[in-house]
Amino acid sequence: MVNFAGLEFIFGFLPIFLVIYYATPKKYRDTILLVGSLFFYAVGEPVYFLLFILLTGINYFLAGKVAGNKRGMLAAVLLDVAVLAVFKGLNFYTESILLPMGISFYLFKMISWQVDVYSGRIKEKKNFQTVMLYFSLFPQVISGPIMRYEEGNFTKRRRYTLWQFEEGLEYFVMGLGMKVLLADRLSILWRDLQMIGFESISTPLAWFGMIGYSLQLYFDFWGYSLMASGIMVMLGFDFIENFHHPYAARSISEFYRKWHMTLGRFFKDYVYIPMGGSRCSKGKVVFNLALVWLLTGIWHGNGLNFVIWGIVLGTLIIAEKLLYGEALAKMPVLGNLYVLFFIPISWVIFAITDLRQLMVYFGRLFPFLGMEGIAVNTQDIVKYSQTYGLLFAVGILLCIPAVFELIKKHRRNPVIALLLAAVFWYSVHFLISNQSNPFMYFSF
Amino acid sequence: MKLIKESPLFFILICTSIIYAALYMGQYAGQKEENTIDNQTGYETENSNSTSPEHTEDEQETEVQEASEKETVSGNSAHETVSGNMPEPQTVSGNNLQEETVSGNNQGDVTIETIEPEFEEILPIRETTQEEYLNHISADIYGDAGRKRALEYEFTEVDETWFDDALFIGDSRTVGLHDYTTLSEHADFLCETSLTIHKVLKHNFKGYGTIEDVLAAKEYGKIYISVGINELGTGTTETFMEAYTQVIHTLQELEPDARIVIQGSMFVSEKKSNEDKIFNNSNIVARNNAIATLADNQEIFYIDVNEAVCDESGHLAEKYTYDQIHLLGRYNDLWKEYLLQHGIK
Repeated sequence: MVNFAGLEFIFGFLPIFLVIYYATPKKYRDTILLVGSLFFYAVGEPVYFLLFILLTGINYFLAGKVAGNKRGMLAAVLLDVAVLAVFKGLNFYTESILLPMGISFYLFKMISWQVDVYSGRIKEKKNFQTVMLYFSLFPQVISGPIMRYEEGNFTKRRRYTLWQFEEGLEYFVMGLGMKVLLADRLSILWRDLQMIGFESISTPLAWFGMIGYSLQLYFDFWGYSLMASGIMVMLGFDFIENFHHPYAARSISEFYRKWHMTLGRFFKDYVYIPMGGSRCSKGKVVFNLALVWLLTGIWHGNGLNFVIWGIVLGTLIIAEKLLYGEALAKMPVLGNLYVLFFIPISWVIFAITDLRQLMVYFGRLFPFLGMEGIAVNTQDIVKYSQTYGLLFAVGILLCIPAVFELIKKHRRNPVIALLLAAVFWYSVHFLISNQSNPFMYFSF
Repeated sequence: MKLIKESPLFFILICTSIIYAALYMGQYAGQKEENTIDNQTGYETENSNSTSPEHTEDEQETEVQEASEKETVSGNSAHETVSGNMPEPQTVSGNNLQEETVSGNNQGDVTIETIEPEFEEILPIRETTQEEYLNHISADIYGDAGRKRALEYEFTEVDETWFDDALFIGDSRTVGLHDYTTLSEHADFLCETSLTIHKVLKHNFKGYGTIEDVLAAKEYGKIYISVGINELGTGTTETFMEAYTQVIHTLQELEPDARIVIQGSMFVSEKKSNEDKIFNNSNIVARNNAIATLADNQEIFYIDVNEAVCDESGHLAEKYTYDQIHLLGRYNDLWKEYLLQHGIK
């Protein structure tokens, strides 16, 4: 039920909740939204539901009545970080998935709220129900976006119009299509490469697979974020943007200002800037960036590959800052190529947790490194480009900002509306055939 | 009107949902009636074929006896290996519940009424129970008698050119054999991911057409077939066996001179087998045991690549696979080697 791209959610929880929500007088909609969100979380995470409630309570009471309560803020932030560290640490030592659902996302919201209350950024009087609602909002509780408190329309008036509802629905359907029709299907390509064994894929297929994985990751997460923000808009909130055409960026730092924007913003506002940001000596800047990227790497998963991933990105970003960043900005095509080369490479590091396998994959990507493949089928690219050509074409088109913006601009056009309706039903068709045949993606 | 203008997508989705729901309701109502009838009769036909366990045992004995007599007379060299073994005591092991020894020398009630069968048909020891059927458990209704008999055949070592007139039919595992071994330079392959025994005759293979088309266009000396894992979640051992028998007979009709080699399904890894209620090795064994009984060691043969790819505990060896089901590209050579060792004289 907690999966946005699941039939239970699309035809169950979401419509039922929306009807109740809109049937409730405006005055009580926050309450109903809180109840719905808690129910949603409790269904998805019955065990650690209490942890969430407990953390909400502690965070609420540690925050001062007025801005500037440093002790309370520090205690709360330390607690939040400690809880996250404990669970991530446990997860590191045990194979089974111990992480409570959405823990890092709601803890980041809690930290963000603490700091914003302390700094006086949040001016309104704190109210337990609203704070709990902010932490628990069901569209965001599992995987973000990490909305800031003051971005939520808690006291600002929400817009309950058909126009607004339509807006949200459009985003939701776009996201659903990206997830179900692009990401989920592209994920089979990566699974196939693993099944074959990296040592046996041809160099063209290694590149093809890398591009496929880059697209899969993008549409999976962008699609998810669009669905989440779309639901928020349907509920009357503002749209929270989490991705803004990252693959069109011209530097790695720009890429990460446009990829998972709310996370990047979180690290910038609550780690990088408090440490002095870029307004200090060069050495300090390098240190700050290195720390942020090391943390980003560790946060993404346990495994040395994630650390390497963070280090590689951090190094590139530091190099941009110190060496070639400004020059690159003046050379559009070169900048694009630079991003489109290094980012997919970094995703390979992100994807392969086994370091030996990672080396093998690099060996296939760059045969001049001297590692020989084993039982390589040189024709494999023909087969896979036939199977995935269309998905690649659609995916790459949607990476071009002009294409997506054109669709967005004309979204009120009945033709686009019809197209989106088709996307919706096609996605549903996929979900249904997947459900009636759970092995669709696992057929041998 | 306001709805259409301001919220066209919402409008369309609401309308289509209503239509869809109406259609679905209608279809569901219709289907429900059909289903109840279908299910009942379907299940009963499956069972009506099989007889009580003891009866089956008797029949089997009879046939074993009969066969050994026949073979001593005929003295055909191909038969000798079989007949030499047949009179010896044989163990027909059911799925642990039932393990009985059938002695070939036991005279019992030998009632030969029918015409000489081509080979000793091994009949099921028992039937799939309703519980097994509902839980997607493939019942081991044949025991390993057929498998044992089939693997007693003296296979011979061949080289790759032996496969020049061979046709391989199979699912994604066979795709791996095609893509990652040199066999594809010799044999023809009709293989596709998610192929099942139920689809195999109807399926239109990209660039080749149906099996019938392919067999009409070229004459093959050997037909290798390897399907069975995708349909583990469908039907019972009986329905699977019925479909398999049908396919084998059709292949024989279409290509009477070809030898047909049934390949038992490859196992999955221990991890997968322990975790998966459907795709586990006990289900695979049950179905392999069934289709192995089709082998007459004259025109139809049964081979089992699991000998070549399994670890000591009898599961697909972890090191040969990433996804716990398929051989890694490079290890398809183990399969190829096994095939080279298991040519037919």
